[in-house]
Amino acid sequence: MTIMGVCKEQPGVRVALTGNESIARGALEAGVAYAASYPGSPTAEVLGTLAKVAGEFNLYVEWSVNEKVAMEGAAAASFTGLRSLVVMKADGLNVALDFASALALSGTRGGMVIVVGDDPSSHSSVREEDSRNLCKALHLPIWEPSSVQEAKDMTRAAFDLSEQLKLPVVVRCVTRVCHASGDVELGELTRPERRPVFGRDDRVITFSIQLHAQLEQKLSRAAAEASDSFFNGYSGPANARRLVIASGPSAMYALEALDMLGLAGGVGVLKLGTTWPLPETLLLNYLKNASEVVFAEEVEPFVEDNVMALAAGHWNELGSIKFYGKRSGHVAGPAGAGIGELDPDVLAGSLAKIFDVPWAGQTMLTSREAEELLGEKMPGRELALCAGCPHRASFWAIRTALELDGREGVVLGDIGCYTLGIVRTGYYLLQTMHCMGAGVGIAGGLGKLNRFGFNKPVITVVGDSTFYHAAVPALINARYNRANFMCVVLDNETTAMTGHQPHPGRQTTATGGPADTVYMEEIIRGLNIPYAISDPYDVDATINAVCDMLQLSGPRVLILRRTCALAAVKGKEKNRVYVDWDKCIGDDCGCGRFCSKVFACPANIWDAEHGKARIDEAVCNGCGVCATLCPQQAIVVERTVE
Amino acid sequence: MPGQERLKNEIIDGGLCSACGLCVGLCPYIKTRRDRVRVIYPCGLQEGTCYSVCPKTGLDVGEMDRAVFGREREDQALGVLQGIYFARAAGDKAPGAQYGGVTTALAALALRQGLISGAVLTGGEADNPHPALARTAGEVYACAGSKYVGVPTLAELNRALRDGLTGLGVVGRPCQVAAVRKMQQGNLPGAQFNVPGAVELVLGLFCFASLTPDFYSFLSGQVQGEKVIKMDIPEDGPVVETSAGSYRWSMDDLRPYIHKACNLCLDPTSEWADIAVGATEYDRAWNTLVVRSDRGRDLLNLALDKGVIEIKEYPPQRLPVLRRATLNKKMRVLADAEYQEGRPGCPVVPLEYRRQIEEQWGGVSQ
Repeated sequence: MTIMGVCKEQPGVRVALTGNESIARGALEAGVAYAASYPGSPTAEVLGTLAKVAGEFNLYVEWSVNEKVAMEGAAAASFTGLRSLVVMKADGLNVALDFASALALSGTRGGMVIVVGDDPSSHSSVREEDSRNLCKALHLPIWEPSSVQEAKDMTRAAFDLSEQLKLPVVVRCVTRVCHASGDVELGELTRPERRPVFGRDDRVITFSIQLHAQLEQKLSRAAAEASDSFFNGYSGPANARRLVIASGPSAMYALEALDMLGLAGGVGVLKLGTTWPLPETLLLNYLKNASEVVFAEEVEPFVEDNVMALAAGHWNELGSIKFYGKRSGHVAGPAGAGIGELDPDVLAGSLAKIFDVPWAGQTMLTSREAEELLGEKMPGRELALCAGCPHRASFWAIRTALELDGREGVVLGDIGCYTLGIVRTGYYLLQTMHCMGAGVGIAGGLGKLNRFGFNKPVITVVGDSTFYHAAVPALINARYNRANFMCVVLDNETTAMTGHQPHPGRQTTATGGPADTVYMEEIIRGLNIPYAISDPYDVDATINAVCDMLQLSGPRVLILRRTCALAAVKGKEKNRVYVDWDKCIGDDCGCGRFCSKVFACPANIWDAEHGKARIDEAVCNGCGVCATLCPQQAIVVERTVE
Repeated sequence: MPGQERLKNEIIDGGLCSACGLCVGLCPYIKTRRDRVRVIYPCGLQEGTCYSVCPKTGLDVGEMDRAVFGREREDQALGVLQGIYFARAAGDKAPGAQYGGVTTALAALALRQGLISGAVLTGGEADNPHPALARTAGEVYACAGSKYVGVPTLAELNRALRDGLTGLGVVGRPCQVAAVRKMQQGNLPGAQFNVPGAVELVLGLFCFASLTPDFYSFLSGQVQGEKVIKMDIPEDGPVVETSAGSYRWSMDDLRPYIHKACNLCLDPTSEWADIAVGATEYDRAWNTLVVRSDRGRDLLNLALDKGVIEIKEYPPQRLPVLRRATLNKKMRVLADAEYQEGRPGCPVVPLEYRRQIEEQWGGVSQ
């Protein structure tokens, strides 16, 4: 339904789109020709949407091996004059940072937009990184959409600005915009018709201090234009003494909060869409009348710090202003100032304190209030691997193998579904967790400490997509320097966490076409690293494989290969699994609720009334691993799937 | 009765496990790998069959005599017995069998005669032994030959019981015999483990110590890839025969690999078996055979009837040698600084037994 909306020709028509689809639509309206990404929440669906319409619009769309390569490819298209888009989450920008900092200096030709998804409150990230400080360091303009509509409009306009400045423009979009659905008024589609040109005399080179000067000039131009930008707006009384300066969805929250407090008529809201460089003229115009200024933004005090610096530089033109925000501690959610998302309640509480108006609490049903109301009625859901997830079997096998090995081996990890190895569902197995592929590099370091007396076996787990993304250089390093550790690739044959996107080990590309599959075994063989393959669903065989490999020295790889349980059953009939209550001994010695309490697949549940284990058939994906582990062989699998 | 937590803390982590295997496979939480027994996850239960059946917990020598034989022993060197002989397999001794091949012959006979439904024993080679369940005489023959690393063979007993078999025979070390006898006394916390008639025959082996799995790396370092055919520890020191020759070491070379539990064991001759079998330390063609229970007596008579084994009088001049060896072992344990009666790994010896041990030991020359 929404893909049709994304492709609709009629300008002016309103369709319901998600924020991510809206960004994709904005790129199509701008005539994007080349789009690349490595999947990451909250922006994973932007490229997926473009991939679906790639044929119709004659776009080139790829899932790249990582964000740096994605950005390099998109830059190449821009160098030839085409418009290009690169999409990543905040963590991905870190990966691409080296190239991005050089690209800012060399500049671009065709409009190039970098969409960065920030995830305040880290709903589906390991940290709530605010990418704006990095983008400022890169000397790139930053725009922040506050709504689904703006996500489209800004993306489209960002291509124009980029082309005008010959500089990539960042659209920083937070989870609540990316994942929201909203009414979007469509603009006109532009079919990419430019031909790529890269002549004998074209040069795109980062090698001159002059480039730095040019870059600063570009930013000055961006600043000058920002004050007139359609994306900045003011609502409230003329010459307001009380002013809220807000960016992104916080601008919406501020309007709502003021309304809730009955302050809508007396407090102005200046919404900034172009958050970097600051629209200085516009800001000074409002600051000169203000005596109290509140900042509303997620996550870091970015606008706040920069506006205060601006005010300091113009102190003699401005009156005395009191600034309230994260620095003063006034704008703070439950976790503290600058931590976590904002919402109308948080802002209402902050504004009530600042402007000294009564505020009893929520008057509107917010998500937090809804959680409180529903808390008792909603079944509790633990942060857990899905039912049938092969990682659970892998973690159980690794855990068991380490206990049998008896040398207190350590297990490292990084980013993916298997990050849940840090919590109960993964038996608290992971002892380090940082960023894509970091486990392999850290394992390499630990694997060189034996001269100092560190002799524990080291295992690092890495997903298949992460393997291609970031593990290979660390493996090369390990081979070259003879580091002693075991890398376990938890190969579920997809990029599961972000929605089953393909990766270089798959047979298809982003657009569904045939790919030249890069088999990880071939890479590992090429590195002359010994490896073995086991099916994690065969837990005993996997325990043996881990134990055997723990006896080896040097770098080695164990591939635990089994398709993601969700991908495996999609659109298919599932095996029926049930518990034979005549055999189940439940709480007794000999079991002690192994399936529901220890192995703890969400489909293994406990029937307290009967004192027996049960299978939650609505949740169960029919993998049958619990049946192989049940000490009483009480779990029965009716095979319909082989 | 306590459970897994104390088994782990006191016995397994305390280095007192002799890898009998009876706690393995009762539940999903205790597993083995290359003869090492490990608790892989805390079950959280206060009481556990694993602790109840462990031969290193709560073992009272006098109580055990009464439970198994209905009487106490007079002979502190050899335990309750009805007779002691030199014995050997008649006719077709199993290839690879140790000395007279008596254990193999008796186990095979019991299977052939339907006295047992299967025999739990240790198969494989000296450098790669594994628990086995033999369902035919031929499968028993394939397991012939002594292994010196403590193999958790009784895990196989649990597996067989879970598969619904009863009336099984067990061939095991003294600690394994004790574990099976504890199991037979019932009253185990897990109802499903109280199987009447689970074990019908217990053939015990003589054992003065078993080796830890670390011995494997010593052995493979010594034999350098040659195939190990047979191992023996006669009086003049351990010897291993390989495809290319033989290796001989002193007992001191193996001492680092002896299970700590074995240093606290008072039972070198499987005192609670139906029949116990060992070396003679005298004549390599024969075994020492000790008949202990009535059931053991019946099996021996059947074996003689069927001409499966032959026996002869235990040479009178050899008996003091055997008695001296077993009593020396017991006195060593009782004098060991680590031995504190009733502590984990340390069997309780009734005062009267202890007095008799010292008396009988004092009666033989040092």
